[in-house]
Amino acid sequence: MEIGSFFLLNGQLFHLLSLTSLATTSSMEARIILQIQIPWNPNRKFSRTPSDFPRFIRAYSSSSSTSQKPRSYRGPKPSKNLVADFISKNDDLVRSLPIYVGGASLLAVLFNRTVSGIAPVADASSSQSRADLLALGLAVTNLLTGLVWLSIRPKSITPVQPDGVEWKVVESGLPASVVSELLWAWESFKVATCCKSLVIVYNGICLIQIGMVAESPEDKKAVVVNTDKLMQGSVYRGVMKSKAQSYLANLSLYPGRSELPFLPANTQAVILQPLGDKGIAVIGGNTIRGFTSADQAWISSIGEKLDATLGRYFIDSDEISRVTV
Amino acid sequence: MSLRICNFPFHPKFALQPRAQRSTRIFARTENDSPQQQQQLNLSVLRFTFGIPGLDESYLPRWIGYGFGSLLLLNHFSASAPISESQMRSEALGLSLASFSIALPYIGKFLKGSVVEQRTLPEEGEQIFVISSNIGDSLKEDLAWATYVLLRNTSTIAVLILVQGELCVRGYWNCPDQMSKAQLHDWFKKKVDEIGLADVKDTLYFPQYAGSALSWDILPDGTRSLFMQPLVQNISEPQKVNGFLLVASTAGYAYSDKDRAWIGAMAEKFRG
Repeated sequence: MEIGSFFLLNGQLFHLLSLTSLATTSSMEARIILQIQIPWNPNRKFSRTPSDFPRFIRAYSSSSSTSQKPRSYRGPKPSKNLVADFISKNDDLVRSLPIYVGGASLLAVLFNRTVSGIAPVADASSSQSRADLLALGLAVTNLLTGLVWLSIRPKSITPVQPDGVEWKVVESGLPASVVSELLWAWESFKVATCCKSLVIVYNGICLIQIGMVAESPEDKKAVVVNTDKLMQGSVYRGVMKSKAQSYLANLSLYPGRSELPFLPANTQAVILQPLGDKGIAVIGGNTIRGFTSADQAWISSIGEKLDATLGRYFIDSDEISRVTV
Repeated sequence: MSLRICNFPFHPKFALQPRAQRSTRIFARTENDSPQQQQQLNLSVLRFTFGIPGLDESYLPRWIGYGFGSLLLLNHFSASAPISESQMRSEALGLSLASFSIALPYIGKFLKGSVVEQRTLPEEGEQIFVISSNIGDSLKEDLAWATYVLLRNTSTIAVLILVQGELCVRGYWNCPDQMSKAQLHDWFKKKVDEIGLADVKDTLYFPQYAGSALSWDILPDGTRSLFMQPLVQNISEPQKVNGFLLVASTAGYAYSDKDRAWIGAMAEKFRG
């Protein structure tokens, strides 16, 4: 699907948008001039109805007018789907339902045969046998479907409460827009995934450490991220080199666990998302394999956005510091 | 008929050996911008399939239900009178089983782990990208990024965001051709006002949007799911709505709980 090229580097997006808006304003001006010259024939050049003509002029004024009170919503309201709700709540029951139905009908067919005194012979001679055979076929279909559903039941894994302390530290000196973007990223991860801890390191600085944080046993305080040690570790270097998101679905099996001491000890899954080539986001979750592939895609998209925002801020601040020096 | 190791582990086909449990898993995902690709092969379930491409075996119980049910009726009406009571009982049992089998694929769609339909792109019409020119650059960039990500990460084909009275529209929409960007923007504004979308206070989710019931002609043909999230200005005043985010898809039941949670997170970006 061609969505069109999308540039998220510092300011290239703005240029793309400004070019298109320039093109439209100039074409609109051209059309208005043409219409002024031939006012008695507005239909000649354009296939639109004459009622569109006054809209050109109105277009400029309406976009700058303040929004009036919106009309009340006149669409339909969504109806509750009772079946879907029931099935979602009683997943196990519904999964094994076809097996019980199929098995019970199998027995019922045989029972019917014995009760009515006909020998249980499965041939297609009499219409009774044919009806029985068809019912048997359907019962087998149900049985097999029930078996399929049981076999594809996803294993439900219980989340593990991370042991640590609640923590929220944001690097001081960051502009409000950057801070709100970082906090927005944290809120999104917290709400939509099983994420319980988030650490973002960019340009050698730990920008934010938020969520559940390991408690150091000696002084019962939160373990702060040691940025230099993290950046020298193999985990960070590996992720930077591969430039790809790394998903550690079961953190206890991972030997590099010791390089992330700031995460609670029983963090179950971790996503390491590189932010461009200057930073990393460490996202800790409370369920083994708790991040689905949709989550991974979303996290990498948000990682790109954070990289663009942070990159722009740091380049700007570098320029400012260079200018002042 | 052939045995094939299936790449989509949760596609409910007839399993030949549901107990073959091997827990080896090689995990895979394609990233658009990363060169690395890892394969996800779930070797724990072998699937029985006819091997005909394009044939969706998850609907097999439904076809069997229709087929056997009609055969039962045929049998009933072609049988010489009188029909014994035991035959009536078998036929009643068979017909109820048939109707249950017909309903099975529908039930299976709501179970956890069922595969979501893929979206199909509308054949006619082209994509549009309209963004208001009255807003600041950072907001423009956020809108462009948000619409791009929504189109890429969910099965959305059309996105509309209204924030601070300005619109950003992207994807396949049912709008008149040959309009300039500013005209399109005003046209969408007018349509949105007609429907009164800016007044909606709660999220709306139509997983089976029937085009005839709603008169939203701006949505492209073939839209089957619709999700709308209002942008609340302030958590403490949930009635004050500052705009909304609307996504539409050509797949039915396209937005699972997780998708809706993520879309809500994207909408949060434009709050306040």
